[in-house]
Amino acid sequence: MIAQRLAPRSAPEVGDALRECAHSNGAVRVEGGDTLRAMGYELDRPVIPLSMSKVHGMVAHEYHDLTCAVRAGTRLAAFDAALGERGQFVPLDAPQRAKATVGGTLAAGWLGPRRHLYGRARDAVIGTHTVLADGTLVRAGGMVVKNVTGYDMSKLYVGSFGTLGVLVQANFKTLPLPPVRRVLLAPLPEGTRDRAAAQLWALPVPPAAALCVEGFRKAIDGTDGIDGRVFVLLEGSQALVDRATREIRSALGRAGVPETAIVDTGAAACFERVLDACIENLGERSITFRVLGEPAGAVPRAVAARDAAHRCELFTDVLFDVMNGDLFLRVSDRDARTFDAKAEAFVDALTAIAPHRAIVGGNARIRTAIDPWGRPPGALERMRGLKASFDPSRILNPGRFIGRI
Amino acid sequence: MVEMSDSGLVPRLIDALGADAVKTSPEDLGVYAFDAYSQGRPPDAVVLPSSTRDVAAAVKVARDCGVPIVPRGAGTGLCGGAAPSAGGVVFSLARMNRVLELDVKNRRAHVQPGLINFELSAQAAPAGLFYAPDPSSQRACTIGGNIGTNAGGPHCLSYGTTVNHVLGLEIVDECGEIERTWVEQSGYDLTGTLVGSEGTLGITCSAWVRLLRLPEAVRVWLAAFADVESASAAVSAIVASGIVPTALEMLDRLAIAAVEAAFACGYPTDAGAVLLIECAGFSDDLDAYESAMQQFAADCGALSWRSARSPQERDALWAGRKGALGATGRIAPNYYIQDVVVPRTKLPAALEAVATACASRGIQVANVFHAGDGNLHPLLLYDRSVSKQTAAVIDAGNDILQAAIELGGTISGEHGIGFEKRGTLTRVFSTEDLAAMARVRDVFNPRGMLNPEKIFPSGVSCAEIPR
Repeated sequence: MIAQRLAPRSAPEVGDALRECAHSNGAVRVEGGDTLRAMGYELDRPVIPLSMSKVHGMVAHEYHDLTCAVRAGTRLAAFDAALGERGQFVPLDAPQRAKATVGGTLAAGWLGPRRHLYGRARDAVIGTHTVLADGTLVRAGGMVVKNVTGYDMSKLYVGSFGTLGVLVQANFKTLPLPPVRRVLLAPLPEGTRDRAAAQLWALPVPPAAALCVEGFRKAIDGTDGIDGRVFVLLEGSQALVDRATREIRSALGRAGVPETAIVDTGAAACFERVLDACIENLGERSITFRVLGEPAGAVPRAVAARDAAHRCELFTDVLFDVMNGDLFLRVSDRDARTFDAKAEAFVDALTAIAPHRAIVGGNARIRTAIDPWGRPPGALERMRGLKASFDPSRILNPGRFIGRI
Repeated sequence: MVEMSDSGLVPRLIDALGADAVKTSPEDLGVYAFDAYSQGRPPDAVVLPSSTRDVAAAVKVARDCGVPIVPRGAGTGLCGGAAPSAGGVVFSLARMNRVLELDVKNRRAHVQPGLINFELSAQAAPAGLFYAPDPSSQRACTIGGNIGTNAGGPHCLSYGTTVNHVLGLEIVDECGEIERTWVEQSGYDLTGTLVGSEGTLGITCSAWVRLLRLPEAVRVWLAAFADVESASAAVSAIVASGIVPTALEMLDRLAIAAVEAAFACGYPTDAGAVLLIECAGFSDDLDAYESAMQQFAADCGALSWRSARSPQERDALWAGRKGALGATGRIAPNYYIQDVVVPRTKLPAALEAVATACASRGIQVANVFHAGDGNLHPLLLYDRSVSKQTAAVIDAGNDILQAAIELGGTISGEHGIGFEKRGTLTRVFSTEDLAAMARVRDVFNPRGMLNPEKIFPSGVSCAEIPR
């Protein structure tokens, strides 16, 4: 008889749990901080939750080498704190850092707004320990920053939503924390957005993050301030940040933005609120979509998506990542009872504009009626082949991923 | 040996691609038996496809005839990855060498695999952009080959290796099926998995790659030290300081002598080691970086410090580093270059192990390497015509691999495993680790006809895992 909830404390215990599960023809839902639970299909087999929260803590921080090894269940906030003691960080820019785990963030392949500068989460990974569906522990990579010894299997596990194996440890290359972080906030009237985005994208000193925000009022700066803002995060030396501030003010001025406020103290917290907003939801009466894209042409696409929602009489909150082209669009209604029908109508319009849109937050009930991943990507059959090879009995997160893998 | 059933192979290839694209003369086949590491077995035919469709058509012919398929860029690989080990058809992508689209607005390019690495940066430069991965062979090697080996180069210290710059791929698999991947979309990261797979999962037919903006300012400095130990200490101090240079390269005494004899680029020949340091970025920061670097060097006993004052001086300092391999030809008729990585703080121990492995066999060794990454490239100098020297070099190379593993490092940082190191892979990975890789191989390359006898030690398959 298997427990109702599995909470292994180590990699071998994860292996034991999976072997036992396979033996009894069971399946598991792998859980990190459960912050991205809204992503993906409902599982299509009965599952036992496998919580990774007890497989946590730093394994090693080789700070002179700028590398570290951390267990998958470590919360992002704890990871930040441990690395921060030595003035370092790993750019895993996922929401809800107090809850979200390193393993969950990697499994989701979460793409953050600073990746144009520091790389994606997967680019920082130099090694992984993973327990496969049959309970075998496999290692990939190592603790060196350059490595072409065999296939880079970590790339496959990162972003696989736990459907190929359970990440138990990740090794990273770390970066030195920037000496200065500064947030700039400016109003961004509707007519200025396209020009402002173009100016920000072309700045000589690229900001660490730049997002246009419409809605998400209290979520980001804690005020009911004007709607339509630009949020810019600058990171670097004092001299560089000061120069970038001057250049941004001048560039935004050219785009028609009248004034820019500086937030120095609390810049990090302000950035985290922006990350949180990406999946923030209003319970039963909202869904948040993510559209990944490229910077050029992304503003008109964001506007088209928003306008489509308005035509369906939905409220919208928009986060648009200027440097990477991502769009986060939350649609909502005052009343959950009227929301479902409107949302279903809107999804068709959105899918026409952005076929690969994904749901990242919100209403779990209606998700069964809406495809959470949009149109499948190319090479889907190859992905199915990998799933069949790695997890033939469909033990790991069965049916959750793209194509119901 | 692969079982051959190649009757009609050549006529069918000619039928598919045209006679102009199929080479079968003994001279041609002899040339394509080599890469920069070794001589393999001459192929049965060489094809020079002009399009993805050509590649797919020729792969189908090779598949039907049951012969191996060996993709090839410029053949500059250093581990036998492009040398056919069992005959078959070599796919030279040399004719697919164009930039298909330069997307300046999104700072990226769509390129064919046979494009020379350096050519991409040259074509992007007028738009203020460049392609970051820059292997030392960048004037000869191709983007497709770089993707195959996940190539690095001196600047990957801050920019990352090839995999960090590939956005999407178009490949042809073992069955001749065309597959397209993109890194930033939902689904498994096939792009990241394919990069570095050394032609064992598919043939790259085109790639979307990221371009970076040319840095606003670049400074290059040369610090000389009495010995490699003090230079290594400076490397550790720099890496730990929080300033990440764009490149941090070391040359030891013998390498300095070789490059000075060849290029007279101004390296101090009385030094035991030099560090070539480059910081690219913003003019606002570089004065502070220079003071910091100079201080670290001084603290570690630097004998001298030189700052390149002009782009010409910068190029001269780099010329020594980039030409170091060829320059050793002045010291010995042959060299064997090894490629290992260790945690950066283990550099002194690794260099000592290299010295011991070579000295005990009477082999001269020059070290020219990516110190900032902990990526060593000992050049073992020898004369192939002198009996037993080749064997001694191979033995020493093995000791160096073992030392890297024992220091917590690995057996290849950027050259790949290819044919050369496949037997050593079992010293780094367990049977289970390798079986997981084999699962991936078997999904793309179920018959094992794509670049056989590369990467995997003989006999690795997923069937070895007890179910």
